[in-house]
Amino acid sequence: MMQFLTDCFVLIQGWLFDTLVQPVLFALGLAGYVEMGFEGIEFALLGVIELTIAYALMRPLEAWWPAEHWTQRRAVRVDVIYSVLNRLGIIPLAVFALLAPGFMELEGWLRFHDIIPRQLEDWLPGLDRHPLASFFIYLVILDFAEYWRHRLSHTFRWWWALHGIHHSQRQMSFWTDSRNHLLDDLIAGLWFACLSLLIGVPPGHFLGLLIALRLVENLSHTNTRLSFGQLGDYLIVGPRYHRWHHALDLPSDLRYRGGCNFAILLPAWDILFGTLYLEKELPPTGIHEISTAEIAARDDFWAQQKLGLTLFWKALVTRPEKSPSA
Amino acid sequence: MKFPLLSGLFASALLSLAAHAETAIVLNSVDENVSFIDTRTYKETGKAPACKEPHHLMTTPDDSSVIVACALSNELVFFDPKTGKEQKRIKNISDPYQLGFSPDNKWFVANSLRLDRVDLYNAADFSLVARVSAEKTPSHMAFDKASQFVFITLQDSNEVLTIDLKTRQPLWKIPVGPTPAGIHMTPDDKYLLVGIMGANYVEVIDWRARKTIRKIITDKAAHNFLPRGDGRHVFVSNRSMNGSISLVDMQTLTEVEKYDVPGGPDDMEIRADGKELWATARFARKVQVVNLEQKKLSHSIPVGRSPHGVSFISHAPRQ
Repeated sequence: MMQFLTDCFVLIQGWLFDTLVQPVLFALGLAGYVEMGFEGIEFALLGVIELTIAYALMRPLEAWWPAEHWTQRRAVRVDVIYSVLNRLGIIPLAVFALLAPGFMELEGWLRFHDIIPRQLEDWLPGLDRHPLASFFIYLVILDFAEYWRHRLSHTFRWWWALHGIHHSQRQMSFWTDSRNHLLDDLIAGLWFACLSLLIGVPPGHFLGLLIALRLVENLSHTNTRLSFGQLGDYLIVGPRYHRWHHALDLPSDLRYRGGCNFAILLPAWDILFGTLYLEKELPPTGIHEISTAEIAARDDFWAQQKLGLTLFWKALVTRPEKSPSA
Repeated sequence: MKFPLLSGLFASALLSLAAHAETAIVLNSVDENVSFIDTRTYKETGKAPACKEPHHLMTTPDDSSVIVACALSNELVFFDPKTGKEQKRIKNISDPYQLGFSPDNKWFVANSLRLDRVDLYNAADFSLVARVSAEKTPSHMAFDKASQFVFITLQDSNEVLTIDLKTRQPLWKIPVGPTPAGIHMTPDDKYLLVGIMGANYVEVIDWRARKTIRKIITDKAAHNFLPRGDGRHVFVSNRSMNGSISLVDMQTLTEVEKYDVPGGPDDMEIRADGKELWATARFARKVQVVNLEQKKLSHSIPVGRSPHGVSFISHAPRQ
């Protein structure tokens, strides 16, 4: 059965590659990217499968066991656009196209001058012979890096100007996970590329890691009362845990000035760095918009992109008026 | 002994089976591991981790090791071709993609496809001797018989680059068809055959005159070469989803046979008796076995993702 499913998947992947991707790459003189193109199709197809799984599992949770009852789901539509663009690989492809040339140039220069950056396996010899251990170690490192990227996006005003788009959703659903300003996506790509250069993230693991993280992220944004239990909520990020990250209001404690619960997968980072906040009730989500432009941009993709850039620029060129809020 | 004839037959059958049964090593690029296949049962018997982003494998000239090139982890991993056990790792081989030993075994050459560079190593100890800039996208390589030159296909600039191994300097480039991939020297040392992946032919280059003399039409996405071992014919993999493998006569410079091999046939290996051709089907995640007597596909063996190289010890001569 598994082999039959693999064969079907490969048939579709091969057909798309042969008829769409390879001819375009050849025509553009980008044959060096052929293998990457083939893997890119796999990435997009897995995105479709992953979205299907997310919809099949999480939509019933939202319908039958919601945290909030909504009279209509119109506000969710824009998040669906973000999710489709992201999961089909369109945004990741654009991020890759923008970042890859510079990073390859840098890597090429380093290697040509006999500088080979040390990788995780150089620090932990033998790791490359233990794929499962290697997978979990990379997972923990990537999750740690994501915690800090996320936390910093709440700390710097210019970054919050972009990341605030993600938080402006008042009807948070499993689709909200991908609702990010495009520049925020680009910065996230840059963050990952730097990390990759530092520790050499193996691409074979990358797809598995990405899917694992994405499904958890979809679930953690789901509008549901589902909880992993008293202990479980401290072991892995779930809907209740992450809902507090998106809470419209947090206690006035200075600790939570920049937000709380930044972890993507493992709450351990919030526990370790003192940013955990968890209550039994399920708070409303969103941010307190301060301008009509912000309110108008709630449900509009292009308005959100424009607003993010405007606030980003304003944050760069003006002094802070008040602390960023989560 | 009461039944010498029967015993003799039995022993000979056992020997024949033993001779036939061996391990094929297949490199799965995306899964970052190697598969072991029993060549008698055509079944995968196991897997072993390789390294980060491995591309291509090749046997050492003395067949004592199978080398896997690890582009992302900057190393070479050596496997025992008989047992499949890892023998050693050589670190600080920067971004190796495609590998080759010069015919005199003095040079070990590694192409860095991603970083536009060719590295020349001393084959005796794998110490770096020179780095040669090779824009764009150096892919496959071939040598002349005297080991004076190495010829490199440049996939994205549609050229063949020649490097002088004595001076370690690039000598000249000649333009070829779109997206050149595999490259092979004819046994008479006269012509270079270049697989034109962006089209459907093999370009024949008179390298001394630096000009193309012929185009041999094969099939869509002509990619890589493997000599049949008879000193006259070479297989050409045509790497598309509905792919094929062509047999080209290197004396007449014509295609003489073609076999349907679906799934993106790429790297190949041929049995010592010349009866079977094995090819890694990159897109299908399989190793395809062609029965060369019946001239058709006989086995499809599921392996890992993006299989990029197959090797077994009892292969036909590399000429």
